[in-house]
Amino acid sequence: MKKSWRCFVCNDIHYGTKPPEVCPTCGVRHAYVEISTEEAQKIRLPSSAPFTKDDFRRAITDFASRNAFRVNADAERVETLLEGIFANEANHGLKYCPCRLSTKDFAEDLKIICPCNFLIHETYAGQEKGECWCGLFVKR
Amino acid sequence: MAKLMMFHGRECPHCRRMMPLVDRLEKEEGLILEKFEVWHDEKNADLMRSYRDILAPRCGGQLRTPTFFNPESGDVMCGEVEYERLKAWVKKNAAEGRD
Repeated sequence: MKKSWRCFVCNDIHYGTKPPEVCPTCGVRHAYVEISTEEAQKIRLPSSAPFTKDDFRRAITDFASRNAFRVNADAERVETLLEGIFANEANHGLKYCPCRLSTKDFAEDLKIICPCNFLIHETYAGQEKGECWCGLFVKR
Repeated sequence: MAKLMMFHGRECPHCRRMMPLVDRLEKEEGLILEKFEVWHDEKNADLMRSYRDILAPRCGGQLRTPTFFNPESGDVMCGEVEYERLKAWVKKNAAEGRD
């Protein structure tokens, strides 16, 4: 079961089954102590600036640059998808994929938050020109 | 004629590409597919969820759009497809409902 962890040096918050050996923010080893999810939420102060579509576009472009896929070159398609992703976050709480539907089973629906783990999907795995179901990410 | 359903999302690019093909097919064949937008209409979303046990196994284990569905026979086709494949699926399923 995943838990919340706090770096005792820099207050970096980690969510996972075990803490990182080295804090990715301050570099201290064995720095994490388990805390409650409520405490973790309090430490993570709300951002003063909204995370915009352009921020998300930059984030997924950076994410893709470190992987074997890229953001689709079809700008119109990407724009449509980002509209849907942000509409879903506004209306349904999280950045759900606009080309699938939530089930109301929260654990199941975590699988369709964009970016999802599309590497295991039949539309990507083993395909020469693989892409995620919605086509936001395509194999290089 | 069998009732045929199409579940789609407003911001789903696959669905947007399929819509003109569905329109063309409806005109050419003189039939209508019932369309249900699922991200901006909770009733439609719940309707699609009610068929989850039938739809998901045919669509990568998830509820995906677009999904074409014949509730009488349980036949499912999901994803963006060529016009001829859509036509063949619709004609086959429409015919199944005739006496």
